[in-house]
Amino acid sequence: MYKGASHKIWSVLMVSPFVIFFLLFWLLPLAFGAWISLHNWNISSGNLGFIGIENYKSILTPGTLYYDLFINGLKNTLYFVVISVPPLVLISLALALIIDNLPEKFKPVYRTIFFISYSISVTAVSAIFLWLFNGNGGYVNNVLESIGIISEPINWLGEQPYAWVTILIATVWWTIGFNMMLFINALDEVDGSLYEAADLDGAGAFSKFVSVTWPQIRNVAFFILIMTVIASFNLYGQTRLITAGGPEQSTNSLIMNIQTSVFSMNQLGIGSAMAIIMGFIMMLIIGFQYWISYRNKE
Amino acid sequence: MKRSTRKSLPILIVATIIAILFLLPLIWMIFTSFKTLSESMASSSILPSAWTLENYVGIFSSVTDAPILRWLFNTAFITAAGTVLVVFVDILAAYSLARLNVPGKKVILGMVFAALAIPGIVTLFPAFYMFKTAGLLDSYVPLILPYTASTMGVFLIYNFLISFPKDLEEAAYIDGASQWQILYHVIFPTIKPVAMTLGVITFLGIYNDFLWPSLVTNSNDMKTITLGIATLIQGANFVNPAKMMASTVIATIPAIIVFLIANKYIVKSVTNTGIK
Repeated sequence: MYKGASHKIWSVLMVSPFVIFFLLFWLLPLAFGAWISLHNWNISSGNLGFIGIENYKSILTPGTLYYDLFINGLKNTLYFVVISVPPLVLISLALALIIDNLPEKFKPVYRTIFFISYSISVTAVSAIFLWLFNGNGGYVNNVLESIGIISEPINWLGEQPYAWVTILIATVWWTIGFNMMLFINALDEVDGSLYEAADLDGAGAFSKFVSVTWPQIRNVAFFILIMTVIASFNLYGQTRLITAGGPEQSTNSLIMNIQTSVFSMNQLGIGSAMAIIMGFIMMLIIGFQYWISYRNKE
Repeated sequence: MKRSTRKSLPILIVATIIAILFLLPLIWMIFTSFKTLSESMASSSILPSAWTLENYVGIFSSVTDAPILRWLFNTAFITAAGTVLVVFVDILAAYSLARLNVPGKKVILGMVFAALAIPGIVTLFPAFYMFKTAGLLDSYVPLILPYTASTMGVFLIYNFLISFPKDLEEAAYIDGASQWQILYHVIFPTIKPVAMTLGVITFLGIYNDFLWPSLVTNSNDMKTITLGIATLIQGANFVNPAKMMASTVIATIPAIIVFLIANKYIVKSVTNTGIK
């Protein structure tokens, strides 16, 4: 079936809107970005000439301004990936296990409550946590002072490690529900008859999890891990709005610093090169995770 | 039954404590929006001692600084237009790729898969520069059209279709149905669940986007609610938590209502995104 000229025309007509949009808004910017990264390209005065890989060189040469900017952002972003991925994966798994063990009639209510903050935008989340944790008149300080845990207000947003703690709490509160939903769905599909067999063997809750549950949700857990690493790598809104990159640029994320190079320094060429290097680093890390997981399967 | 409820009491208590922790920031946001400025900064009580509507009055009367209804309208328009466009364009493309032997199929599919692996940051600033050069900044065009370049939808629907039997379509074809009739009467009902999934993912993505709208808009009137809240954080409301929370409540309540109504589909969509 589906032969002949009229079908060919139909098929082309149907696929072409997507292909046109894809070429215009993805492939063209990708190619254009690579081209820009080989030029001294100013955001306001435009192309100032071909310079080959000079942009990449200066980003990767220690001591230059752009190197410092890139490494500062990369270091902060990697730090955030390291501190945020374990809680985002492990706590979401714990929440999913709690939901899974609740009586059936309570499940939807708690699931909705744990997931509801995911519907809030990053900017509203930032507004809330900016004022919960504000050093001057923030609610958390007011409460801690009134019950006598602290005598001086903590400068949550202006001192480390408090600034990262605030960003981390905000991020966990905001996004953990999504990972939890993926885990809940995976747990729903775990073969229940295996639990009965484990019960007969007298297995405890922990050994049941290790021997029955974990092997069946491992693939989902890996998928969640990858998604979480990507999300944490793209850290932007929380640090832009809650800490504005401070204190002393310690929460400037890589995307923030790329934006700085493009808009504050006007260096679109440098910014495009930084974005491409960042893309490569992300692909390397994700590829490495795939490699580890496939190796473990064999 | 009773025994099982008693047995699950400890876990119910744990779940309830966590639920309260999850809800506290939202409860605090709502109550703070009804506090006076001085109370919002000094009080450790979550409830206002004196309720006031001055924060809401202040927001709705400062329409030049914070045209919050306009921002809500922009968001409603952009998310609706963007989501419908993406779902429609992706269904057509995925159908053509999965069923119609379109010329260049392998190349197109190859690009779809490759694009999934390349992080979005790489195209962000060049795309901004293209819109700037084309003189299209501060219009609805860059706020809607670029979302159509995402290949996630084509990927999801294509995968769904190739694992779905063609019997119905072939029967309809033999009965003399036109291509459009097959699409409308057979394909649309078939792919409805995955199309809903794509719709929810796309809606949340556009609604929550902050960096891209901040690049392509200048005027207050073109901002989305998500971007508008950021503007307030960085500007007028920076030192006023009560007013800040009032605007955040206005921004958040519609999203939470949509979320509660669409809860069922979101749950399904999260399942569908993954794994299979």
